[in-house]
Order: sequence, then structure tokens, then C-alpha cells
Amino acid sequence: MNKRLLVLIGLVLLLMGGVLSATGEEYVPGNPLKVGFVYVGPVTDYGWTAAHDQAREVCVEAYPWLDTVIVETVEEGAEAAVIDRLVLEEECQVIITCSFGFIWGTQEAALRYPDTIFFHCSGFLREPNMATYMADFYQIYYLNGLIAGALTETNKLGYIGAVPIPEVKRHIGAFALGVRAVNPVAEVHVRWINAWVDEVGAAAATQALIAEGCDGFAFTEDTATVVQVAADNGFFSFGHYSPMYVFSPEYCVSGQIAHWEAIYLDFIGKVYSGEYNARNLKNVDYWWLLQEGGVEAGCDPGMVINPAWEDELKAAMIVDPMMGTISVYDLVMTRLQQMSNPGITFDPFLGPVYDRNQTLRVPAGCILSFDELTTMQWAVDGIVGSWPDEP
Amino acid sequence: MRAPSWIHIERRPSRSAWTVFYVSLLAIAGALVAASIFFKAYGVSPLHAYRLIITGALGSSIGLAETVRRTIPLLLIGVGLTVAFRAVFWNIGAEGQLLVGAIAATGVALFVPMPDALRLPAMFLAGFAGGAAWALIPALLKAQLGINDVISTLMLNYVAAFIVQWLILGPWKGPTARGFAYTDKFPASALIPRIPGTTIHWPTLILGVLAAVLAYVWVMRTRQGFEIRVVGENPNAAHYAGISQSKVIIMVMLVSGGLAGLAGVGEVAGIQHKLLDAGKLSLGYGYTAIIVAWLARRNPLAVLITSFLFGAIMAGGDVIKVSLGLPFQLVNVFNGLILFFLIGSEILMKYKVSFAWRKR
Amino acid sequence: MEWQNWAISTVSFMLSYGTPLLLATLGEIYAERAGVLNLGIEGMMIMGAYTGFVTAYVTHSPWTGLAVAAAVGCAFSLIHAFASITLRANQVVSGLALTLFGLGLSGVLGRSWGGRPLPNALQSINFGALADIPILGPMLFEGHVAVEYIAILLVPIMWFILFKTRVGIAIRSVGEDPATADSLGISVKKVRYLCVAIGGLLAGAAGGYLSVAYRPAWTEGMTGGMGWIVIALTIFAFWNPVMGMLGSYLFAALYHLSFRLQPWVSPEILQSLPYLFAILVLVFIAQGSLRKRMGSPAALTLPYTRGEE
Repeated sequence: MNKRLLVLIGLVLLLMGGVLSATGEEYVPGNPLKVGFVYVGPVTDYGWTAAHDQAREVCVEAYPWLDTVIVETVEEGAEAAVIDRLVLEEECQVIITCSFGFIWGTQEAALRYPDTIFFHCSGFLREPNMATYMADFYQIYYLNGLIAGALTETNKLGYIGAVPIPEVKRHIGAFALGVRAVNPVAEVHVRWINAWVDEVGAAAATQALIAEGCDGFAFTEDTATVVQVAADNGFFSFGHYSPMYVFSPEYCVSGQIAHWEAIYLDFIGKVYSGEYNARNLKNVDYWWLLQEGGVEAGCDPGMVINPAWEDELKAAMIVDPMMGTISVYDLVMTRLQQMSNPGITFDPFLGPVYDRNQTLRVPAGCILSFDELTTMQWAVDGIVGSWPDEP
Repeated sequence: MRAPSWIHIERRPSRSAWTVFYVSLLAIAGALVAASIFFKAYGVSPLHAYRLIITGALGSSIGLAETVRRTIPLLLIGVGLTVAFRAVFWNIGAEGQLLVGAIAATGVALFVPMPDALRLPAMFLAGFAGGAAWALIPALLKAQLGINDVISTLMLNYVAAFIVQWLILGPWKGPTARGFAYTDKFPASALIPRIPGTTIHWPTLILGVLAAVLAYVWVMRTRQGFEIRVVGENPNAAHYAGISQSKVIIMVMLVSGGLAGLAGVGEVAGIQHKLLDAGKLSLGYGYTAIIVAWLARRNPLAVLITSFLFGAIMAGGDVIKVSLGLPFQLVNVFNGLILFFLIGSEILMKYKVSFAWRKR
Repeated sequence: MEWQNWAISTVSFMLSYGTPLLLATLGEIYAERAGVLNLGIEGMMIMGAYTGFVTAYVTHSPWTGLAVAAAVGCAFSLIHAFASITLRANQVVSGLALTLFGLGLSGVLGRSWGGRPLPNALQSINFGALADIPILGPMLFEGHVAVEYIAILLVPIMWFILFKTRVGIAIRSVGEDPATADSLGISVKKVRYLCVAIGGLLAGAAGGYLSVAYRPAWTEGMTGGMGWIVIALTIFAFWNPVMGMLGSYLFAALYHLSFRLQPWVSPEILQSLPYLFAILVLVFIAQGSLRKRMGSPAALTLPYTRGEE
């Protein structure tokens, strides 16, 4: 026992010496750049992580001076050691952490390695050498909602939600607003599966919603389960994150597609040119939407609405206060333009917006601020189902 | 099984620690050879890969820190499991006991007012009590009603995970967590100190080492330990000797669950600094520890070695991911192979193989 | 009208989601009846899911996929059989190793197979007019694939074999008292190998059903912990195929209800219900004298060697 104790103490001293004295290298603009990506899941998930990895590949192709390292399936709490390896052993000058859960680990690492640049996804903490970024779907969910409201025959849409956090609540809210804009009596029924990936749960939740009478589905879950289950039963759905048209060319009407490469190309490019360095990132936050090209509407690149459903949407006419009588198809395209063009002229949360307890949440003519969007807890009127933490 | 005549197989009269050690080493070597097929398939030289993994997990300061950090919960839970296994109580519920310990510690950390200096010790006590209480349920079910231990402990794992889920999304959701599924970050007085520059929460490690030593002494040298061992090895003899099987079961499960609860305190207050999603908190330690305990042949002291070994394997997984760029699922393949070879080598420990050309 | 909707959706879901549970439980019942605990069900299921999907994808035939899935599950189970029967290793650890290995191997091999829908998934059977029967029609005859019905048919067959034939007696005696069985000329080893193989076959088929029929695609870890539920269900069924069926369907029904009732009852409470339920039922039964007659096979998890104790 004594000998073992001594060895242990010796190792500890070795550790302290080894780790305390280590820092990363500072990057000199114009040199080859090495970027480490820390993923929370596997790149084969066809959801969140797959989208990030595809974006990474686009960058590697576009920038010949760029070299990357990826680490998959890193648990929260374990990112510290992974980042250590990336900075000290792999000599990465930029570390990109692709999950909210890495927020405190990334911040601690940023403080530990002041010469390394950190880029954290969907977080809210920043340091001189740590910036944040997010590509959000809420505008596209609104567009999806417009389509859903027009196509539903039972006036019940289903939403399978992952975890009841503001991001997902915001998306469901935008979806419901879109539905109601076109169909004032329709409801959005929500079921939570309390996981980002759970095929069995997503299938069960979809079945439950089908039994409730829903005939159209949107969701937040990292597989195409909902699309398949809905299609099996003859119901339309909206793909999520990755192009899911291939899973049901017949029933996948539209969806949301992430284009993280827009953000990565921009950020990495700016690091290369020297515009961003390890000292001026404290206020760098990417909140990229349709206008910046961070996200795309549709279930397949370049296809906003599935051609098989175009006719039906063109025949569905509604009366809009501003545009008069217009087909839903045209409405969707118009809104898409309004949100994509510079000088955005439309927002899904344009007031007056009431929550489901009839409290006015957005006054007439106003929109939600960034803070209000990212901390949203209330449920838009028209949402039916359990809503944890409802104010 | 009939062996060729030039091989002699005879039962070993007893099993020395050296035999166990050598045979285990042989088994692991065999597993590494088998696993090299996978490395070859990815175009990586197996020798290069192994060298990287060993130096990566043990030879660098980062790797060693990771190894030790993973060892801590495995050590605590593993010691508890060796005690439970001695009484042949299959505690598959360490995951759940870890979670309940974490819940108890979180409650004390965030919601119980007390002087700062007392907070950490109170958290450890609460964690031990929480884990022990959670283990008491299946223990009572078996002791009083004879309900199968595998199913009751397993089911309670799920229930514990759901309780954590409910807490972090509901009553305990942290206002500063911006709506995300976490509690607030623990106050500074509730954080277990770490070795600077690493995530090793050393007080918990010391607890683990203490637990191993105390458990060994308890099981091997005290009267209660004797009772535990008799119940495990020969229930009939225990019955005739008047040893209460119920009492033994409850005793070992309180200890086993309590130690798992301590591991939960370590994870929540030493690593994560908040309560979060169950899967991210327990990380399968409760199941891996079963293997750790088995490998230690139910000897609490040996858990010191086996938990370190598995900590290294888990850290080696990081190396596979980062330095070798291989799919991380290989780690599980690795673990499975090592286990199979170790299982297979068990037979070499029961039987001695010698060759006929040696004059006896 | 309301209760009919609830009944139809619950029973319908019960059948589709309960089928893999049922198949794997039937198999594990046989294995455990012969005295071998196989905790590797998750590993066998996921390997079955992977190989079933790939085979069905490549051969365009879902049934070939299912057959291969079952065969792979069987092959995997034989590893556990060899370790626990011939090498007399600890069955708990051997099973865990199998699960680890299966999960890892399927993950490694399946890396490039995600994100592809299966073009020729198993189609549900069209029963024509039968589906129009009020209530029972949509419940039982709409949207179900052949495997679900096969699973139901297996229940009485496997019950009969286990309790009413000599083969069944042999199996049960090997699990209760291998020494006596051995002295009566029954090959303990052969019986155990056979039962573990059956378990593997059915677990593999259950996994194949998931990736070929239930959700025709492959995702790493798609079994989502079903294997562990099966282990619990086996015990809950008191090692009886009929009870196994009831348990599987009950679990599936509760799972479905946990989603349907979500607006009114906290999802965590509902989702933990099946697990609590399992314990509660055991407690209830243990109170009565049924306990004596429904205990586990006495020799479960104990390796057997002739002339040794």
C-alpha cells in the first residue's frame, strides 16, 4: 500500500507539472490553419452532428489551407480532456464545440488557453477568445406551418418535440403561428420525447398523435422516424435538419435544412484573414437565419415545396389582411422572400401575438428581441399538450 | 471434452494471485491480437495503434488525468458491487443508486441553507444515504418477498432516470440555465476540489481508496463479513448456523448502494457541477462497474487495479477517437473482446494445462 | 366514440411495438428455462437489426433480411453459449460482454448505412373486408405485418412444447436440477446450447423486425434498450410463454398510453409506470402462494459439470 501511495503521489506531481505549463499556439493569419471539431454525437446520425460534419467537409474543400480533426460522441463533462488533446497534442488553433452542453467546458478551456480560438454553438457565453454561433429555424417553421395549415383536413397538426427548451418551444411557436395564419381553427398537438435521439419514442409519439387525429407532422428529433411513420399512415410531414425527402418522396412536403457551412466558411475565413483573433471575439455572435443563408426551407436542397404538393397549395386560397386573396403557395413564397432579402420585412412573431392563456406576449407591430426569442417559455395560442415550465 | 493425449488437464487445487494475474494478462493480450483485425481493416497498423493508445491513456498527463477521473466512480461502485456479489445479490442497479445519490447531493448543494464549511461533507453524507435508500428497496423486496434481484434493481434504474428528468425539467430547473434542462450551477462551497488543470476530484478518489480498504477488512476480517461470505457461498450452511439472510442482504445493499451514491456525488459535484440529464451523468458506470467487480474476483482491494484498468480503457477510447480518427464504436468492440477473452481465460484458472513432453 | 378510438390505437400499437418484445422474450424464456441467463439480448437484437437491414437492402427481399437477422442472432448467442456452458464462465458478465460487443460491432459496421430508407420494407397485410369489422377490424387487421401474427402464433406453440412435450420436460429439468437430468440420460449441454440458440434466433428476428418492418431504416443503437426490457419481461412472465405475451403487450400498451396521456399526466410519471408496474405485479404475486409454483428455474446462472457441485 505504501509503495502504491508514493507512486500515486509521484504521478500527481507529474500531472500538475505536465498540464499546468501547457498552452496552445497562437495562430498567425495566412498560415495553414488546423481546426478541431468536438461533436456530441456520431457523424452518421443524419441529424444534428451529420449536418455539422457535412458543413466541415464543405470548408475543407473550399479552403486548401485548412486542416481539420473531428472527435465524435463526446459526453458533456468529457469535453475538457478532448479539448486538451486537440490543443496540446493535435495542435489545433481553433476549437469548435457543437452542442449547447459544452458551454461551460468550452468557457473553462477558453480561459485556460488564451491563445486558442473557441467557437461554441447555440450558447450564450463569450470570451475574448470565444465566440458563439447559431443557425435557427424559426422562420422556416413558420413557412412549414403555413403549408401545414392549408393541407390539414382534420385541423390537427402534430409536433413531436425533443426537449422542452426555448429553442424547441420557439420552433413550435413559429410553426403554430404559421398554421393559424392560414387556418384560424387548427391546433398543434405536441408530444415530448425528452431526448434528442429516440427512434422508438418518436415512433410511439407519432402513433399517439395519429390516434389523436393529427394528419400532418413536424418534429425535432435527429432521425427520419417521424417522416416514415407518418408516410406509412398516409400523412404528410416536414423533414428536419437533413434532407429527408428521400425517406418519403410522396409525403415529405417541406422542412428545414441546416447550412452550417455558411457560418463556418465565414468564421474560418475571417480567422485566416486576421479579422478575428484570440482577443476580439467577446461580442462575436452569429445568429444566422434565412437572410444570411444559415438555413434553408424545404426537405431537399433547392426544393422549398415538394412538387407533388404544389398544385394543392396553389389551389388553396386565403385572404391575407395585407395581400388580399392569395394562394397559400404564393403566400409561402412571398414570406420566404420577405425574410430572405436584406432589410427583412416580415417576422413570424410580428405582433399582436397571444399565448394560449390569452396573455398578450407581443404587442401589435412589434417583434421579439433576441433575448426574448432565446429564452421563450410560453406557448403560442393554438398549441395543445403538455408544456413544461409554462409561465 | 476430450483432449489429445499429449495434453494433460487437471484441476487446480487452489488459485494463487499470480495465476490470476498472469492468465488475465494473457487474456488481454489475446484480445488485443483479435482486435488488430479491426485496425488492419481501417488501414492502421495495430502496433502503432496500441502504442498510441497506451501512451495516450497512461503516458501523457492528459491521458493519465482522464484515466484517473474515470477510475473514481468505477472504484467506488466496483467496491460496493464486490460486497454485494459476495452475498450473491446481483446489484444491476448501481446506475440508479448513483443517480439518487446525485439527486440527494444536488438537493443539499442548492436548497439547504448551511454554513459553507459543512456543505461538502453534508453532500457526501446525503449522497451515501440516497444511494443506500434506493438500494434498500430491492433488498427488502428480496429479503421479505423473495423477488428477483436482477429485475428489481434493473427496473429501478429507469425510475431513477425518470426522477432526474422530472427534476431538471420541472421543480429544479435552474433559472440561470436559460430554460435548458439543467439545475443551477452549484455554489463554490458545493464543488469538490480538483487537482488543478485536471478534472480529478481527489477527495472522492481518496474516499474510493478508503472504501476499498475498509470493505476488504470488513468482508474478510469481521464477523459480519464472515456472515456475508457464508450466505453467498453456502446458503444452507448459513441457514443452519442461524445467520439471517435478510439481515445480510440488507447490509450489503446499504453499503453497495451507498458507495454508488458517493460516486454520484462525485460526478455531480466534482465533474458536472450541476444536475443534468441522467444518461450524461451516469455514463454507464453502473454497468461497467459490474465488469470491474467481476474482474476483481469479488476482492475489494483488487478493484483498485481493475477500476484503473477500465479507466485506462475508457481513456484509450478517447485516443481512438481523437488521435487515430477511428470510429468510436470500436471502443465497445474492444471492451467486448477483452471481456470475452478474460471470460475464456477463467477456465485456465480452474484447470491447469500441461504438456506430456514434460516429465512429471 | 372516444373510448373506441383509444382502444383501437392502444391495441394496434400494442401489436406492432409489442412484437419484438414478445419474440425476444419467448426466446429468453427458453434459454432461462434451461438454466442459462443471457444478458446479451440487446447485442443480439442490434446485430439482427443491422444485418437484417443490410441484407434486405441488398437483396430487395425483406424476408431474406429477417432470415439472416435471425441467423446472425443465433450465431451471436452461440458465443455466449460457448462461454457460459462449455467454459463455465460467469453468465452475467458473458452476457454483458455480448451486448457491448454487439453494440460496438453494429455501430462500426453500420456507419455508412444510416440515412437510407429501406426501399422494400415488409408490407402490411391487406385483409380486405376483415378490416371493416367495427373496432376489431382496425385494431387487428389493419396496418400489421406478417411477423406480428407469427409472433402471436408462436406463443401457444412454444407453451405447448415447454409444458406438454418430452422436449419441454427435458428443458425444464435441465434448468431445475441438471444433475438428475444428467443421470436420466439427458445431455445437459445439448439442451442448453439448443435453448440459447433459440433465444438468439428469436432475438435476432426481433431486431430484424425493427429494421425491416417497424422502422425500415438503420440507425446506430436503434434498439434503444429494448433488450433490457426483455430481460425484465422474462422474469415478469415467470418463464411462461403465455405470461410473456401478456407482459410484452401490457408494456407496449403502457408505453403508448404514456404518450397519449401526456397532456394530462407528466410524461416522466407515465414512462416510469411500466417499470414500476413490473415490480408491483411481482410484489402482488409474491404475497400469495403462487410464488412457490412460479419461481425461477433453480439452476439459473449455475454452470453444470458432471460429477461436480
